[in-house]
Amino acid sequence: MTNSIPEFETDSNCFLIIGSNTSEGHPLIATRVLRAKQRGAKVIVLDPRKNQIGHWADVFYTFRPGSDVALFNGLLNIIITEGLADQAFIAERTENFEEMKALVAEFPAERVADLTGVPVEGLYTVARLYATQKPAAILYAMGITQHTTGVDNVKSVANLAMLTGNLGIPGGGVNPLRGQNNVQGSCDMGGLPNVFPGYQPVTNPETIAKFSKAWSSSLPTPNSPLSNKIGLTVTEMISAAGEGKIRALYVMAENPMLSEADINHTRHCLEKTEFLIVQDIFLTETAQLAHVVLPGASFAEKDGTFTNSDRRVQRVRRAVRPVGDSWPDWEIICHLAGKMGAGGFDFVSPQAVMAEVAQLTPSYGGITYERLEELGGLQWPCPTTEHPGTPYLHKNRFSRGLGHFFAVPFKEPAELPDQDYPFTLTTGRIMFHYHTGTMTRRSKKLDSEARQAYLELHPDDAQKIGLNGSRRVRVSSRRGQIELNVRVTERIKPGVVFIPFHFAEAAANVLTNLAIDPIAKIPEFKVCAVRVEALSGTEHRGGTDHRSGESERRTRRDE
Amino acid sequence: MSERLTALRETIRQILPQVDGVIGLKTGPAGIVAPYLFKPGHPEMLDSLALWPKEPVPDTLKIIQKAYPNARLAIVCRGCEERGVVEMFKHAQVSLENLTLIGLQCVQEEALFCRCAKPYTVHARVTVGSPIAGVPDPLTEAFAAKSQAEKLAFWKEQFQHCIKCYGCRNICPQCFCNVCALEDEKWVETGRLPLPNPSLYHIIRAMHMTAKCVACRECEETCPAGIPLAIHFRLVARDVKEMFHYETGAVIEQKPPQLLTLEEGDYERSGLP
Amino acid sequence: MEYHNVLTTCPYCGTGCALHLQVLDHQLVGVLPAKNHPISQGGLCIKGWNAHAFVNHKDRLQTPLVRKGGKLVTATWDEALALIAEKLSALKAESGPDSIGVFASAKCTNEENYLIQKFARAVIGTNNVDHCARL
Repeated sequence: MTNSIPEFETDSNCFLIIGSNTSEGHPLIATRVLRAKQRGAKVIVLDPRKNQIGHWADVFYTFRPGSDVALFNGLLNIIITEGLADQAFIAERTENFEEMKALVAEFPAERVADLTGVPVEGLYTVARLYATQKPAAILYAMGITQHTTGVDNVKSVANLAMLTGNLGIPGGGVNPLRGQNNVQGSCDMGGLPNVFPGYQPVTNPETIAKFSKAWSSSLPTPNSPLSNKIGLTVTEMISAAGEGKIRALYVMAENPMLSEADINHTRHCLEKTEFLIVQDIFLTETAQLAHVVLPGASFAEKDGTFTNSDRRVQRVRRAVRPVGDSWPDWEIICHLAGKMGAGGFDFVSPQAVMAEVAQLTPSYGGITYERLEELGGLQWPCPTTEHPGTPYLHKNRFSRGLGHFFAVPFKEPAELPDQDYPFTLTTGRIMFHYHTGTMTRRSKKLDSEARQAYLELHPDDAQKIGLNGSRRVRVSSRRGQIELNVRVTERIKPGVVFIPFHFAEAAANVLTNLAIDPIAKIPEFKVCAVRVEALSGTEHRGGTDHRSGESERRTRRDE
Repeated sequence: MSERLTALRETIRQILPQVDGVIGLKTGPAGIVAPYLFKPGHPEMLDSLALWPKEPVPDTLKIIQKAYPNARLAIVCRGCEERGVVEMFKHAQVSLENLTLIGLQCVQEEALFCRCAKPYTVHARVTVGSPIAGVPDPLTEAFAAKSQAEKLAFWKEQFQHCIKCYGCRNICPQCFCNVCALEDEKWVETGRLPLPNPSLYHIIRAMHMTAKCVACRECEETCPAGIPLAIHFRLVARDVKEMFHYETGAVIEQKPPQLLTLEEGDYERSGLP
Repeated sequence: MEYHNVLTTCPYCGTGCALHLQVLDHQLVGVLPAKNHPISQGGLCIKGWNAHAFVNHKDRLQTPLVRKGGKLVTATWDEALALIAEKLSALKAESGPDSIGVFASAKCTNEENYLIQKFARAVIGTNNVDHCARL
C-alpha cells in the first residue's frame, strides 16, 4: 500500500474499491472505510458480486470479470474529457500523459459500457465522484491482480491515481490489500526469485557483490559469488519439477496442492518431484506427497515479526512452547544450513536475525526489536534508528523520479465462456476461512460456520441449467470437475459463478486456468470458463464432512 | 490519574502478601494494556500497573477460578466490573468466597467516555479514589426520543454493518452459555456475510442480555462496525428495573428475575448438551 | 498459578490486527483484542477471535516424518535433517543448484523468510525462491 490504514478513517474523502471483497477478506479495513463514510466520505464499490460493502456503499456496480482495463480506460477518458484531471500534478510529477490520453480516447463510455456491463451513467458517476472528492484512495485485492492482464490492471489503477493527483498525499493512494499476514514481509525479505531483501535486484552486480561479501561464510567457497540469474516463480518451479528440470523442492509452510491453479497439474508435477521436503504445522495436502516432513511451530509458539499491508513491521511473540518436538521454522533452517556445512546461520534468536536484515536492507535499516517494543509498529522505509517510519509513499517524488503513465490496451482473459463452457467462474475467499483452510478448518467455531464449498449462481442461471430445486451441481472446466452444493443468489452477476477455494474436497482450483500474466507470472484465478450441471435429487445429504464427520447441512436460498 | 495509580499500587502492595494473586491491568509493549495476575513475591511487576483503558476483568477472574477454585484472589474492579462479578456469581460463574474486591472509582472523563450512570463500586470494602455521580447517556436518550419508525430505521442501518465477528458476545463477561443460540443455524444463518437477516443476531442477543447486562460497554468498544450496542441494553435494563424491580449488580442476595433454579438431575434430564 | 497476556499479531489476513493471547499456566486459554492499537483499535474479526483455536489441534505435526517404503514414518530431527542435507548436496553436485527450488512463506515471520532465501541463495546457490504472493 502506498498509504496507511489509519488514514482511511482520518483523511480519505472517497474510496474506489475494486476487486476486493473487503468485508470478508479484510474485515477491519472495511469497518475503517465504514467509519470514514459515517463522517461523510463517499464509497464506490465495483465487483462482479455484491459483497457486504456493496450493500452499504454510496455507489455499487457489478462488471464483467476480466474487463478491468476497459473499465479504467473508460474512467480515465471521462475524467480527461470532463476537465477533472489534476493538471498541476500531471505537469510536475508525471510523464507520457499524451500517449495514455490518446489510447483512452478509444474508450468512449458507450463502448466501455458494452465491454464491462457498467451502464454509461454509472461510468460517469464513478469517474466524477472519484475525481472530485480528494483525497481519494483506491483499494484493491486479488480481483485486480489474478488475471493474465494483472500487470495491466495495476498500471491502470496507477494511471487513475496519478491523473487525479491522488498519490503522495495522506488519504489517497494505490492500496493493494495484502491477503496474508506476512505476504508483504515475505516479499520484503527477498522471498522472490528476482530480488534480494529490500527489492535489491539479483541482476545488479553491486548488489551481488554486497551480499556475496556479507554472506561469505555461508557460501560453498568464500569467494564464489552468488547467482545473478533470475530464478523461477512458484508456478514455474512446480511445472519445472513436473518436467524433471527441478529435482528437489523445499516447501516451507505453503500448500500449493490447494492454492495453485489447475491442481491436477500440480499433483502430477509434485508426484514426479524426486525429493519433496515440506515444513508445516499440519500434514497438508502438499505434505502428504512429501519425502520428508518437518514440523514447524505456529505463530503462538515463536518470536519474530510480520509486515502488514501498510508496510508496518510488528512483533509476533511467543506465548507458549511449541507442541511436541516441533521447532520454530527459523531454528529448522539454521540447523539445516549447519548440517550442510554452511556458516552464517548461528543465530541465537529472531532478534539477531533482524539485526542482520537491518544491516543489509536499507528500507529496514532503522528497525530494531527495542524500537518495536517501545513504539509498536514501524512502517518502512525506515532507513535509520532515528527515522520515525513512513506512513505514505511518493511524497514530492516517485522512487523512479517522474510517475509514468502507461497506455494500456485492453485484452480479454485467456479463456472466455463459449457454448461448451458457458459460465465465467471466479474464485475467492469467505470470511470464515483463510486460504487453504489448514488452520481455519481446524478451528471449531470457524469450521462450524462454514463446513463445505458451494457454488453461487444467479436465479436466472439456475433456471437456465434446470436446477429445479436440486441443491447439488457438477461444475466442469477443461481441467477437471468437482461436485458441490449450490447457493442461488442475486448477489452475483448473471453468467458468472463463484466458488470459495478453501475446501480440498471440492477444490475450486481443480477448475481454474493456469494461464499466467507474462510479467508477474500470476495465474488467472479470477476468470475461467465452466459448465454447470444440476445433479438429480432435491437435497444432497449423503456426504459427510471430511473433518468433523457430521452430516452436511442444508444450504438455503439467499435473500 | 497518577495519584489514583499510586494509591492503587499501594493498596495492592498491602493486599498481595495476604492472597495468592491480584487481578489488575498491566501495561505491555507499546503501552498497550491487558489483564494480569499480580503475584506475591513479585511486587516489582506493580511498576507496570495500569488503570485505563479498562478490560473485561470479571472474565479473567472466571478463567483463573475455574482452574484454581480455592485460590485466594483479589480483583481490581470498577463499578461496572463489580456488577459483572456479582452477576456472574449469581449465575454460578465465579465465587465470592476467598475473593477481595478492590473498588476503583472512575473519574469524570472515564464516566463520560462510557456514558456511565454508575461509575462507582458499592460492595467493595477496599476502595481507591472517590466515587462520583453518574453521567447521562446522550446516545440512549436521543434514541429513546425517536419515533417507532425512526428506531427501526436506525437499527436496520446499524445492523447491516455487522461483520459477525461475535466480538460483542465473546468479550461480554455475562455471556457464558455452553451452547449459544447465535451459533445455532435454527436462529441465525451460519457462514454468511452479509448476514441475510442482520437484525436477528442482535435481537436474540439483546433478549438474552435481559437482566444480565451490567452496562460495562465492552461490547460497544470491541465492535469493529461501531454499532452503539449499549443503547438497547440500557433501555431494556430500564424496563427490567420498572417491571421486576431488578438492577444488575445492586443487591448480591437478590436473584435475577429470569433465573430458573434446577433440582438435582433436572439438567441431565433436559437432554441439553 | 500464572496468568498473563501476550501481545502479538494476527496470523490471518494482511491487515495486521494486534491481539492478546491469554495464557494460563503455559496454556492458551483465549484471545483478547488490543485496545488502542493503531490498526485493530480494540476490535477483531471472527478469525482473529479464534486465532488460538488451531494451535493445540490434535492434527499438529509433532515430530519429523520420513518416507520409507512409500509411507511417512516418524523420524528424529537428526535423521531427517541429515537426509535432507545429503540429498540436497548430492542433487546440487549432480545437476547444479538450479535443480533445487525453495518456497518461502507468507505465513512465516520476516526473520524466517530472510533465512530461507539466504539458505537458497548462499547455501544452495539458486535464486529459485518464491512464495504464494500470487496465489
